[in-house]
Amino acid sequence: MRGRAVSNVIVDAREVGRSFAMPAGPVHAVRDVTLQIRAGDHIAVRGPSGCGKSTLLHMLGVVDAPSSGTLLFDGQDVSRLSDARRSALRLRRIGFIFQRFFLLPMLTAAENVELPLSEAGASRRDRQERTKVLLDYVGLAARADHRPSQLSGGEMQRVAIARALANNPQLLLADEPTGELDEATGAQIAALLDRVNADGTALVIVTHDSTLAGRAARVLMMRDGRIEREATR
Amino acid sequence: MIGRTLVFLLVLVASTASAQEAPKDILISRQLATEQGLSVGSIVRLAVDANGTGARTFRIAGIYEPTPDPARLGVVPREVRLHLPDLLDVMRPPGMLAGTEYVANINVALTDPADAAAFARDVNARMPGVIARPSSEAAGSAGPFRVIERFHLAIAIVTIVAATVFLLALSIMLVDERRETVGILRLIGLPARRVLVQVLIEGVIVASVGAAFGLVLAVLSEGLINAFFQWRYDTALVFVRITRDVALTSTAIAVPLGASATVLASWALLRRSGLRLARR
Amino acid sequence: MNAVGFAWRSLVRQPARAILGVLGVAAVGALLLDMLLLSQGLIVSMRDLLDRSGWDIRVSVREIPGRGGRVSDASETAARIAALPSVKATLIVRIANARIEREGGPPIAATFEGVSGRSNKGAPITPPWTVLRGRDARGANEVVVDAAIAKAANLDVGGTITLRASCVADLEALPPARLQVTGIAEFPFAGTNEEGIGGSLDALKAACGGNVGDEADLLLVTSTGESRETAEAIRPVAPGLFAMTNDEVVGRLQQTGFTYFRQISAVLTTVTVSFAVLLISVLLTVSVNQRLGEIAALRALGFSRSRVVKDVLSESALIVGLGGLISLPLGLLLASGLDRILKAMPGIPAELHFFVFEGSALAVHIGLLAATAIVAALYPMRIVSTLPIAATLRDEVIG
Repeated sequence: MRGRAVSNVIVDAREVGRSFAMPAGPVHAVRDVTLQIRAGDHIAVRGPSGCGKSTLLHMLGVVDAPSSGTLLFDGQDVSRLSDARRSALRLRRIGFIFQRFFLLPMLTAAENVELPLSEAGASRRDRQERTKVLLDYVGLAARADHRPSQLSGGEMQRVAIARALANNPQLLLADEPTGELDEATGAQIAALLDRVNADGTALVIVTHDSTLAGRAARVLMMRDGRIEREATR
Repeated sequence: MIGRTLVFLLVLVASTASAQEAPKDILISRQLATEQGLSVGSIVRLAVDANGTGARTFRIAGIYEPTPDPARLGVVPREVRLHLPDLLDVMRPPGMLAGTEYVANINVALTDPADAAAFARDVNARMPGVIARPSSEAAGSAGPFRVIERFHLAIAIVTIVAATVFLLALSIMLVDERRETVGILRLIGLPARRVLVQVLIEGVIVASVGAAFGLVLAVLSEGLINAFFQWRYDTALVFVRITRDVALTSTAIAVPLGASATVLASWALLRRSGLRLARR
Repeated sequence: MNAVGFAWRSLVRQPARAILGVLGVAAVGALLLDMLLLSQGLIVSMRDLLDRSGWDIRVSVREIPGRGGRVSDASETAARIAALPSVKATLIVRIANARIEREGGPPIAATFEGVSGRSNKGAPITPPWTVLRGRDARGANEVVVDAAIAKAANLDVGGTITLRASCVADLEALPPARLQVTGIAEFPFAGTNEEGIGGSLDALKAACGGNVGDEADLLLVTSTGESRETAEAIRPVAPGLFAMTNDEVVGRLQQTGFTYFRQISAVLTTVTVSFAVLLISVLLTVSVNQRLGEIAALRALGFSRSRVVKDVLSESALIVGLGGLISLPLGLLLASGLDRILKAMPGIPAELHFFVFEGSALAVHIGLLAATAIVAALYPMRIVSTLPIAATLRDEVIG
């Protein structure tokens, strides 16, 4: 088993591609993408619908495996890892935020945040302490016992961010985090994500929101599955 | 037809019969013939005890398939049929005069079966000590098959209750899947009643198709069950029969149950506001 | 939160659905338990009834002792059997139909059992009845009757009954006999609607007009040691008769009279389990399909495949487990109702039960329910374990 890379490169994608077999012929959602994500990076991925942004995000998050090329996470070739190892990676090193939040409706905000901690084997005391810290971090300490149905869209997304940060991941991936929120709430989420990044977590955001994208240090423009150009701030 | 419950011992002897008297004819059941390796023309001796007391010689004139008797399921029918005088001849203890025997039952076939009850009443009135009753009443309310019928009915009721409970659970889940659609319809102005009618029509269609499928499955099972048990017990008894009444009763229960479950589940949903339903 | 806790929360999220699922399993489980009780109930009950009678071998003209066909030269046969060293006691049993006259009402039809016993080494002779009040009948003009006759004829211990008995054929009309009732007894082998009278063989013969021949419906034998060996020893001294141990009688009944109930028990057990598997599987599958987005999100967050599979299995186990718990009292209640229905069958001893609770039936019940929970969860477990995470997340956004 490889150890962690000495450099601060978290993800090293080399000419990765992803194709899907369709009745009418294969669809190349991502083609020949080469990309490195380092500790503390703040990257936005933009492009028209269907350009492969989410597919790329899923590969970076080890949710999906590339059909071609090599993807290294912390120096490990993801395609050689078992499903259990990939799950463990996602649990401890990567955080995910979704457009539709995907909070479990039958659990309270605190219980939703505790889930990844519980799965990682944290003790009850550690879970409760960490949950308190995280909810405080996202400004929802007072709503710990509320269920998602009792929270607004922005509050739900903040709980989702707290959940994603539960196991102190190196990398946070967000797929249209403000897609279902109004402008003002979106701005609050954007500010929170900035803070997360400033505290050391690498951040990759797929977004249509130009304001959100404008806050990133690197903006990747995708078209037809490829990175057309990269802009840095 | 006159019958009597007997225990026979059948002893097979060599086919060289006495030339003095031609043996009388008897019939034996197929199962007995197979078991003992007998065939038409075989000569046998019948006696009523193991010592062969009063044994008589008979010729097997034919092999018959016994009428299936559900009361004797599992019992191999090793049967012999002979003319009554011959039977009485074999049965009569030594020294007993002919004509002093008795029989247990007399079966009567009437020219008009509808007269059975009146005929029985007439016989009972004219012949004290004799009990006559129509065959259809023979079992009585406590007859074994009436009892088994009640047993089966009880099982069927429990099965229907269990199925209804599950059906309701499934209906709630399936209706819940369409919660958003229902909410939107309500928000755009459709009254709850309109939605319920729609749901009822769907429920009737689904329940009818399901009932039809169930009947097909039942008919297939009927064939399989009968084939298996007829083979298992070597009998011509019919164990399962889907009659027209059974099919109609099943359908009459299944379709309303199915439709009602869907309507009930939807009604519970429609009590909530359209806004709550449409919200994800 | 472990898998069971998670499953519990998933269930209570939709309480109506969960309650109905559990109740459905309870109803099906109750039926399953009853069929398992039925499969061996008759055998266990009959064996118990036979063993409790105190006699371990039955000698008659048929394999399964019953009315029709008698042992001739009964006294001599009984004496030959009693002389065997392995025989402790013998009892001749003769049965007659009787009608008890009563004032202001139709006669009461009953079965009169007359017995005559012989014992070696002072072994007790147990009649085929149990005296509840008073004492057993000893003399030729004494009888014991069952409680139903006592009530219908307004009698008690010390009272007198007048009856007409026929030992040979129903056609006989004999003068009535007056007999003194010395006790109220229970006749374990009497049918539900059959009334019983018991007395000595002399009393029965006297009631039948005296000249009824030396025949018996049944000879009962108690052995000193192994009943099987005693039965083997009896066969040569009672040629043409069947000497059956209690186990052999039960075994024969299992092949003939009881076979229907074993078959229906097997068929209904299979149908019930299949039904339960199908319904629980559908319930879980629909439930899982409604939560695919959540499950994909959990997988994206790092929940392993085995964890989400365990969650589904735990949900199945909870539904079946809770339903199974409720099914126990429900099943026992249902069994008592079904037992009452079946005991109405003519000729079934009142003390015989079709449904008898046995630990082994409960163990099989638990095992079958556990298997049901696992098999029903197989398909939904497969759904979650092969769930394409990325595609599902994408579909959720589009949907």
